[in-house]
Amino acid sequence: MTEAAIKVEDITYSYGDLLAVKGISFEVQPGEILGFLGPNGAGKSTTIKMLTGQVAPKSGVAQILGADITLDDPAIQARIGVCFEEKNLYLSMSAKENLDFYASLYGIKDPDSIEILRRVGLADRAKDRVKTYSKGMRQRMMISRAFINKPDVLFLDEPTDGLDPVTSASIRTTIKEEAARGAAVLLTTHDMFEADELSDRVAFINDGVIVAIDTPENLKLKFGKRSVKVRMRDGSGVREEIVALDRPDSGDRLKEVVGSGDVLTIHTEEATLEDIFIQMTGRGLVG
Amino acid sequence: MSRSVSRAAIVSAIVKKDLVEFSRDTLYLFLSILGLVLFITFFWIAPKTVNETLTLGVHQTGMDALFDQYQEGANASEGLRLVQFASEEELRKVIAGDLEYWQSEDGSQTFLRDKAAGDEKPKDAKRVDVTIGIGFPAGFLEKTAAKERTTVTVYSDAGVPSEIQGAMKSFVREIAYAIAGDAVPVTEPSQENIILGTDRAGDQVSLREKMRPMLALFVLMVEVLSMASLVSSEVMNRTVKAVLVTPARAGDFLMAKTIYGTMLAMSQAMIVLIAIGAFTQANWWLLLLTMLIGSVMFTGVAMIIGSAGKDFIGTLFYGVLFLVPLMIPAFAILLPGTASAWIRFLPTYGMTQVLTGITAYGLGWTDVWQSLLAATAWVIVIYLAGLFTLKRKVESL
Repeated sequence: MTEAAIKVEDITYSYGDLLAVKGISFEVQPGEILGFLGPNGAGKSTTIKMLTGQVAPKSGVAQILGADITLDDPAIQARIGVCFEEKNLYLSMSAKENLDFYASLYGIKDPDSIEILRRVGLADRAKDRVKTYSKGMRQRMMISRAFINKPDVLFLDEPTDGLDPVTSASIRTTIKEEAARGAAVLLTTHDMFEADELSDRVAFINDGVIVAIDTPENLKLKFGKRSVKVRMRDGSGVREEIVALDRPDSGDRLKEVVGSGDVLTIHTEEATLEDIFIQMTGRGLVG
Repeated sequence: MSRSVSRAAIVSAIVKKDLVEFSRDTLYLFLSILGLVLFITFFWIAPKTVNETLTLGVHQTGMDALFDQYQEGANASEGLRLVQFASEEELRKVIAGDLEYWQSEDGSQTFLRDKAAGDEKPKDAKRVDVTIGIGFPAGFLEKTAAKERTTVTVYSDAGVPSEIQGAMKSFVREIAYAIAGDAVPVTEPSQENIILGTDRAGDQVSLREKMRPMLALFVLMVEVLSMASLVSSEVMNRTVKAVLVTPARAGDFLMAKTIYGTMLAMSQAMIVLIAIGAFTQANWWLLLLTMLIGSVMFTGVAMIIGSAGKDFIGTLFYGVLFLVPLMIPAFAILLPGTASAWIRFLPTYGMTQVLTGITAYGLGWTDVWQSLLAATAWVIVIYLAGLFTLKRKVESL
């Protein structure tokens, strides 16, 4: 078994008297994308802050690539990439100058900044100052900055927040490419579709606690309803039939319903990640 | 992928980035260049000499011989020049500014011009500024010799320093004593003490020379605002967070800001000091050291302002709040007599003393080391305060 790229055991963090992260544990393997799902204030960003060395955990053990994060080792920092939720770019500098600057902090002599910008569709605007970029372009720039050092561990905090579907899809593609290269990815989001599409596993975090962690499929199987909804033409109207799939006669019942009329649509009644989250925590992912 | 990068390389990368950002900040770039041009211009248009001659207007009757004797024996180099008026009323009006006193180039002819009445400017003549004068009453000599009491009026413009007004009164008393044949009621010392020092008679420190330390501090002040703006933008835009998740540490960031701020302030101060001719073969290293100390001090101030200011207005507000008190010692040199004793406790007092000593009075290391030591102590305090404030700010983001 390969060593976990991220290993977290019972870490906590508090802001004054407020305990924001209450002893969470998880691991992320190389090449794996772990989706961290939770509403605002659940503890997602604080967890990323701890794992990227911005703040130190109050207790517990956290290791990145086998090294204790509290040691604040620059050699480990050199192997991680971070995409912040806030667009903290140098606006008076061009995209290429931004990337070249960060490359120099990692000791990269001849960074292939243009190629990295090409991956996020910004190569033709590489020499333009970032302050002239749109919101979507700045977000793509944030992603490209996280890739500049070909990191072994990627922390992506809400990487597609507020973006249009085309830009979001393009960013999701690049994230998958990084995971395919072997990078471990910790992705925080409150977008259930993004988490579902990208994540090998998802962790539900609520009020500083991980309430569930598994593959999206397992969570859906475990917590969702096993049934199909059939919509059929009924004279001048439309009729719906729900067929449960976990009964001995489910197959026969489905054949009977489908054969009883003009079928318009058939949908599985699979639960979404948000449904499961609400079911488990009693609150939604947004807000 | 694992790479190693030295601390020096990281600090150097941040400094280079800061310089790029500075070169793109049109406002502060403009202010810096404007500051340099204005400061140098102000210096060169300021008077380079001090007029040490006092022109004294006199109205007298029956004392011609006495005044002719003075005019022949004493001349302008003695610091007192007499101009005579036909009437006390004319004297009063000239000093009050109601009439102008003009004199031909060779001094043989004088003219009184009533500007309000529309009098033309006299040709081939120059105006003489008479701001103080004495009106002797008729029969002053005889009455004084007979030890009778008379009234002598001293006329003075409000702008004449009180010391000069007092000196004129003493001058009149002395004349009266001499005419009356009495000795001046003071005892002459039996021993003459000579205090050694630079004789600046005829070579007083001019306004231009006094401006040198003030201009040096002004340049540093402009750069404080520029540096503070850069720090503030790193903090407010959270770009520093992105830097600190790389191998760069907070110490690298602070070191880079120290180098950048000191380099920027010092380089511009050097340009100004060279342009205003402050460097000499004897003082260059001492001046260089003083400017280095000053640049570090103002970098510390910029760190504090940058940590506190949230935008341009905030930076300007905190800038003014910190910089005005720091400028007071420099103004005090320009306007002696205006400063109170408490300015000695201001952080820039020692540095201003050193700069003034070096650039205006040609003092050396042995003369200024105590002030330099005081300045260094303040630099350490302010720089450490700046470092601490910025570090806390960065770590709290």
